[in-house]
Amino acid sequence: MSTSILSLVKKHPIFQDPRLFQITALSSFLAYGVFNLDWITDLPRIFTILSAGIFTQLFFMVGLRLPFDSWKSGAITSLGLSLLFQSSTPLMWILAPVLGISSKYFIRTKGKHVFNPANLGVILPIVLFGDAWISPGQWGSSAMLLFFFSSAALMVLFRVGRIDTSLTFLLTILVLEYFRSVVYLGWEFDWLFHKMSNGSLLLFAFFMITDPRTTPNASGARILWAVGIGVLSFVLTSWFYLHTAPMWALFFAAPAMVVLDKIFKANVFQWTSIKPLQS
Amino acid sequence: MKSLKLFILASAALLSGLQVNAFCGFYVARADAKLFNNKSEVILVRNGDKTTVTMSNDFQGDVKDFAMVVPVPTVLKENDIKVVDKSIFEKLNEYSAPRLVEYYDSPPCPVEIVTEDYEVYDMLDQNWPAFGNLTMSVADESNYRVNVEARYEVGEYEILILSAEESDGLRRWLTDHDYKIPENADEVLDPYIKSNMKFFVVKVNLHKLSGSSFEELSPIQLTYNSDRFMLPIRLGMANANGPQDMIVYTFTNQGRVECTNYRTVELPSNRNIPLFVEPQFGDFYKALYEKSWKQEGRNSVFLEYAWDVSPQQSVKCDPCVGPPPIANDLVKAGVDWLQNGWQGTAYFTRMHVRYERDKFPQDLQFQTTTNKERYQCRYILTHPASGDMSCEEGQKYLKELEQRRKRELDELAALTGWGVKNGNSYIKEFNNRLEDYEFSPVMTQEEDRGGIWTLLLSFLGISTLIMVIARAGKKRKLQSLPA
Repeated sequence: MSTSILSLVKKHPIFQDPRLFQITALSSFLAYGVFNLDWITDLPRIFTILSAGIFTQLFFMVGLRLPFDSWKSGAITSLGLSLLFQSSTPLMWILAPVLGISSKYFIRTKGKHVFNPANLGVILPIVLFGDAWISPGQWGSSAMLLFFFSSAALMVLFRVGRIDTSLTFLLTILVLEYFRSVVYLGWEFDWLFHKMSNGSLLLFAFFMITDPRTTPNASGARILWAVGIGVLSFVLTSWFYLHTAPMWALFFAAPAMVVLDKIFKANVFQWTSIKPLQS
Repeated sequence: MKSLKLFILASAALLSGLQVNAFCGFYVARADAKLFNNKSEVILVRNGDKTTVTMSNDFQGDVKDFAMVVPVPTVLKENDIKVVDKSIFEKLNEYSAPRLVEYYDSPPCPVEIVTEDYEVYDMLDQNWPAFGNLTMSVADESNYRVNVEARYEVGEYEILILSAEESDGLRRWLTDHDYKIPENADEVLDPYIKSNMKFFVVKVNLHKLSGSSFEELSPIQLTYNSDRFMLPIRLGMANANGPQDMIVYTFTNQGRVECTNYRTVELPSNRNIPLFVEPQFGDFYKALYEKSWKQEGRNSVFLEYAWDVSPQQSVKCDPCVGPPPIANDLVKAGVDWLQNGWQGTAYFTRMHVRYERDKFPQDLQFQTTTNKERYQCRYILTHPASGDMSCEEGQKYLKELEQRRKRELDELAALTGWGVKNGNSYIKEFNNRLEDYEFSPVMTQEEDRGGIWTLLLSFLGISTLIMVIARAGKKRKLQSLPA
């Protein structure tokens, strides 16, 4: 009985295509933000980012004759940006997804784009124009943890996405923070729990660094890469007090992906090569 | 390396067996003075990595029983420490406090001149906080592994800067120098010591104080450079009994300040409320704050005011509760970039946080954003029109008024949880102000906004939608295939 339900659930399209799973999860967070965190006043920003992102993707889809399927990547980038990217200038709302998605087609090496489009979409406006920011505290920490862990469980259960990267990254941060904050400095355990249940950190871990196109191809390299991002985030947070450290760590780690791909040989990830799960 | 040093600022009051609450730490008191400190105020000015903190606590007790311990990132120089006039807190508070605004309907029937006017009420008359005093003797520090790094006299204060190697030593030093400290003080001192913090102890030089009242003591202002933009609240919870309130006034040259490790939430604003709330506006706001605080899970920071108050800006509030701070006030508060010619941006953010140990495991961390959007806590009273109502417009107006008053009562209940026992007569008796209203507070239950259900339902809804679309797509594909 239970196995038949499981196989039925497995047949659901969102578990057949990891991108659909990501779109579903990210849209749910958006709904959570709008209905529970009163993001009503943010709706113009959210809609502008989403439409600019989808139009940019359509533009490249038509211009480069990409498969129709690529709308999904554009949607994921735009949803990610609408959840993370803040600016008081509406022009930036357009620029962030345009820059992020365009980078996929301009900055490439060996059939892969180098930078995570959502990551670059956030970083570039901050660096170039200064008129943008990320609000790491916007999620609170109540409902997030439970939902993210169920997302992780679903991802593991249905073998979607690159959960190895997420878990390695989170584990690295957890271990380092545990030894520094709890063991050495002497904060209580709930200090650590509060840190780890930050919505932006979890969003980053499960839905940004898991992008298969900007992670190293070989699984060993991926683990190494995720540990590196974790260590860099930890250093940037603990000694440079960067509240958005993981975003910067991923940005700086992008070139490392190119190097790791050279050392660890593996096939380049293709969305279309995913075979439907056996039911 | 200096910039890498962990900065934590906390004032500490060490007092045994008494209910002591303080903003960044706990007071140090030598005798069993009765202290009460539920609300504190602090001004934070941030420019690049330079921070100026002005601290004020509503310490109420005998001046000679008081001292304060403030962990700082480095051994501060004498000119990094200042005393400022306490009136700056009053000015900032009055100017940015939640406001009640009063409007008058113009008569519907054409008799009088159409007027629309408002009056403004200040929310709360906040008692002014001050520091106390303690004469402290510095004995041999060698046993404690505590060093006196510097010794200054600033204003009426004597300041010692201590460095400690372990919390037990610092605790013993304080105890042996006649301070009683809370039992669990070690635990909270430890993380700060290990982060290489210095502690400075503030006491009052009684000879320099003309009177003996704590009310005459000035707030202390510290300036330091640190990457870290935060306020420590953990020390203050060491011996706190219940939640504490803190008002944080911040100034930057970019835009709003927001908390990065807790949610920063705007309180409900611009709401129409019944006329009879006027004499109890203070209580109304307290109830509103409490309801929002519970609704947001007791672990959010609330925004009460956000506005560009640069000297060249003409509109600084709408309406103004108090006179807007002038450039000179801002410079006093630490906005030193306005010193030259008073040109430049000063963005004012007022936050209100109610914190307690189990909901706030971490110190408050902040960031400056470029968000210049204006915000104020503003509640609106509307007086009905008087005079002749016999014309068609007048009758229509009366019907609308009834509906409006219903909405006002609903709004009151939604904002504060207050029910009004005889609310019906307020709705009906539009011409007379209801004087003998009776509140029935119904706010007891903790409200759950059902966050996790929103998430789950959205997930299910969206995945169903995707399944339907995918199936429809498949069918179309099958149909288009040649038989």
